[in-house]
Parts: sequence; structure tokens; C-alpha cells
Amino acid sequence: MKILAIQNLRKAYPGFLLNDVSFDVEEGCIMGFIGRNGAGKTTTIKCILNLAHADGGSVLFEGRDLWANETVCKKEIGLVLGEFDYYKRKKLRVIADVTKRFYPDWDEALYQELLKRFSLDPEKKVSELSQGMRVKFALALALSHRAKLLILDEPTSGLDPVSRDELLEIFRTIIEDGRHSILFSTHIISDLEKCADYITYIKGGKILCSTDVETFKDAYRLVSGEAEQLAEYRDRLVGCRAHAFGFTGLMRREDAEAAEDLKIAPADMESIMIYTEKEDGHESVAF
Amino acid sequence: MKALLFKDFKLCLHPTIFIYLAMVLMLLIPSYPYLVSCFFVCNAIFFIFQSSRENGDPMYTAMLPVSKAQTVRARCLFVVLVQTIDILLMAGMCAFAIVSMPEHNAGGTDHGLSLLAFALVLFAIFNLIFLPSFYKTGYKAGTSFLKGAIGVWIWLILAEGTMIASGAIKESGADVPFFRFLAEYVDCMPKTAKAWTVQLILFGAGLLIYAVCTLLAARLSVNNYEKVDVQ
Repeated sequence: MKILAIQNLRKAYPGFLLNDVSFDVEEGCIMGFIGRNGAGKTTTIKCILNLAHADGGSVLFEGRDLWANETVCKKEIGLVLGEFDYYKRKKLRVIADVTKRFYPDWDEALYQELLKRFSLDPEKKVSELSQGMRVKFALALALSHRAKLLILDEPTSGLDPVSRDELLEIFRTIIEDGRHSILFSTHIISDLEKCADYITYIKGGKILCSTDVETFKDAYRLVSGEAEQLAEYRDRLVGCRAHAFGFTGLMRREDAEAAEDLKIAPADMESIMIYTEKEDGHESVAF
Repeated sequence: MKALLFKDFKLCLHPTIFIYLAMVLMLLIPSYPYLVSCFFVCNAIFFIFQSSRENGDPMYTAMLPVSKAQTVRARCLFVVLVQTIDILLMAGMCAFAIVSMPEHNAGGTDHGLSLLAFALVLFAIFNLIFLPSFYKTGYKAGTSFLKGAIGVWIWLILAEGTMIASGAIKESGADVPFFRFLAEYVDCMPKTAKAWTVQLILFGAGLLIYAVCTLLAARLSVNNYEKVDVQ
């Protein structure tokens, strides 16, 4: 069952257009939302939650119009927009005390457990926390009201590898019961390799694809060849990097399978994103 | 609404508000335009909006399960609470002054219900200009305050100026019925039945103007903020 269904979301800013963005988030899954800086990830998230007014489209949360039922739906959604960057002179205890009053399903025991797990001192002020600790505090608040859907914009940026791994484990635990879901935007593709079930890829305000991770990765192959072969395959390469001994690049699976004289390897998500973003430039220069 | 008010009280209340509210003590200064003390409360409200913005309150609130309309109404109610506290403090000061400062205030409106009525109109003007202007963008507190302050000072000069003029004309012995009426029943401590009646009517009118303007300000603010993309 779809927990979140986004259809033809449109938002125009001077110099940027979020163009007919459509994708679904299934119940019990983690959806990775990837794209470069400025691709439209945060704008999409803001439009979904009515923080920015969409010019068109619809957002359904559990089959209900999210914008028409904003207050009810938001009680069941946990939102983290990067690090906690609000009320820097206030203590975490005070902020949590205010926040919990908005959520009838606030789980104080879980909140206290998360504070311990993240080593957060409730008597500290936000300004006294490092960037990573602020992200953890934002997550502790978002996780403590038992949200059915977590929408996380760059939640792991600024965290050390151990904390990131711990967090990804928490994400997997959250969705284990099959009723909770996570929409997770990030630049750290390796995090998604570890935990995402589905991927939505946005580029220049348009969705390039929204599918499960395996299908996404299986659609491409990493290829490498000699310098003189580059001219022959240039048109079939999604993106490539030339070097002194030849080139490496990304091809669609069907093109790669037809190119018998190239070395072919499975593509990982990071390579797919890097080479796809090089598509316009087509080829990077070797120094 | 209760949770939003609690949030504003715990997270957005600027500490200077207590200093600005204490400016009500200016009502004990002999011969002074006491409405000036209300301008300091407008200042306090500006600081609440400005520090909220600097602390990311608009985005934090937008992430909570509340609508933009609820957010604006709660903040307007918070403003009303601050202004109500000031009016109550002013009423206390007026009562104290009537007993202990019998001299007529030559510097502006005398202690009495007229002063409270003029203060209510001052707040009504401020709310009607400042609140919808701020919620047009959700962040331009300074420009909105400047516009509100211009409206407030025009009213302040007009009201206090008229009262000073009525006192001066009475002192000069000239008999201008309008100014005589102001001097005898409006710009005075209400000690006669007629003065009480006139000032009670003025206070009622002030309350009505305050209520209508603030409700209108809240409605315009909600409409303006609905169009804003929270930043």
C-alpha cells in the first residue's frame, strides 16, 4: 500500500522549475531521494508538506489529501530538514517540552532512550551542540512521536561514520513492522546502498526515475576501454571520464551488452549518479 | 492553539519585553505624554517577531502539525495578551496616580479611562499595520515595524497634542466649546459622574476599535501568510 503518493507536483521559481514530479512511497520501505545540490530535493519535500506552495499537483498521505488535511497528516509525519538549527540559546529539554505538546502519540520513554543512545544532554543548549549532534537531536524529536512516515532531508550529513551506521540501523528497525516508511534525501549514496529499498532520482527539477534499487542499478553498466574506442562509443555513453590510457564510463545495460570489446562491470549507485550528472558535459578532462 | 501559545511563551518571548512593560512606570512622571509608554510595548512586540525570525521559528513552526492560519492566529493572540497586560498595568498606574498625584497632567492625556482608550486605539493602529505587513513575507519585521511606528506616532501626536491644546486653551481663558468639553471630561481624572460616563463611553469605543482592528489584522495576516513560502 502507498503511504505517500505524489502526482505532477509543480513549483516555479525564477530560474528553476519543479516539473511534474511524481513518485510513490510504499508502506514498510525506505525510499532514497537522490540528486545534485539544487536538483529540487528540498523544494519537493517543502511542497509535499505545504511549507512551499505547489503551483499544481497532488499529495496523498494514506489516501488522504495531505494539503487539505495538513494538521492531521503532519501528526503522523516526522520531518527532519538537516540539522536542528532553531532556538540556539534554548536548552534541549525546553524545546522537547514544547514540541511534545503538538503530538498526542509522543513516546517519552523512546525520546529518553534516543537521548541516551545519541549521548545528548537535555540540559545543553542547541548552540553548544556540534553539527552532528544537532542532526541527532532533530532525529530524536522526529522519531519520538511514532510517525508513520519519516521525511528526512540530508539527515546523515555531518554525522561521523559510526553514528551514520547506527542511524541506518535505526531506520531499518523502524520499517521492520511493515507499517512505517522513510523518505530519505541524501548526497551520501553509500548510506542508501546500505538501507534503501527504492530510489527516486531527480535532476534539474525532473524525476529521471523512481524504482527499486536493484532495477535502478541493473539498468546500467560501468564500462572501460582504450582511448581509440571512445569515438566509436561516445554516443552510447551516458557519461565518461577520459584518462591517459583510455576511458571509463557508464552505459545503459542493453548498450553495454552489445559492446563486446569493452570491459563491463556492474554499476553502483554513486557511479550512476556521477556519470549521469556528467551527461551534459559528456566527458571530463584528464589532467 | 494552547500548544502554540505555550511555544511562543517558552521559545519566542524576548527578555526585553519585561523592561518595555516596566515602561508603564512612566505614568508616574509628572507632566508627560503617557501614550509614549505604549510605543515601548510596540517595540517589545517587534523584538518578539524579530528574534523569532532569527531563531528559525517560522520554519520550525511550519514543520509542526499546525496550519499557517493557526500559527498566525496564535501569534496575534500572543500580541493581544502582551497588550492586555500593558493596559491592565496602565489601569493600575492610573488608579495609583488618581489617589497620589492629584495635579493635572499638562504634558498630555491625564490619568483616566481616556488614556486607556487612546492606548487601545494606538495598539489597534499598530496591529492593523504591523501584523498584515509582517505576514506578507513572514520575515520583514523591521520594515513592518517602521510602517507601524509611523501610524502609532501620528496617532500619539494627534491624541496627546489635542489634549495639551485643550488644557492650554482652558488655561488661557478662551472659551472654545469642543476644547472645553475635552478639558472638563476627557483630559482629566474621572472624579465626577459626567466625566466617568464620558470616559467610560470613550473606553468602550477604544475597546471596540481595538477588537475590530485586531480581528481584521489577524484575518489579513492569515490571508497574507497563506501565500508565503516558509523560508
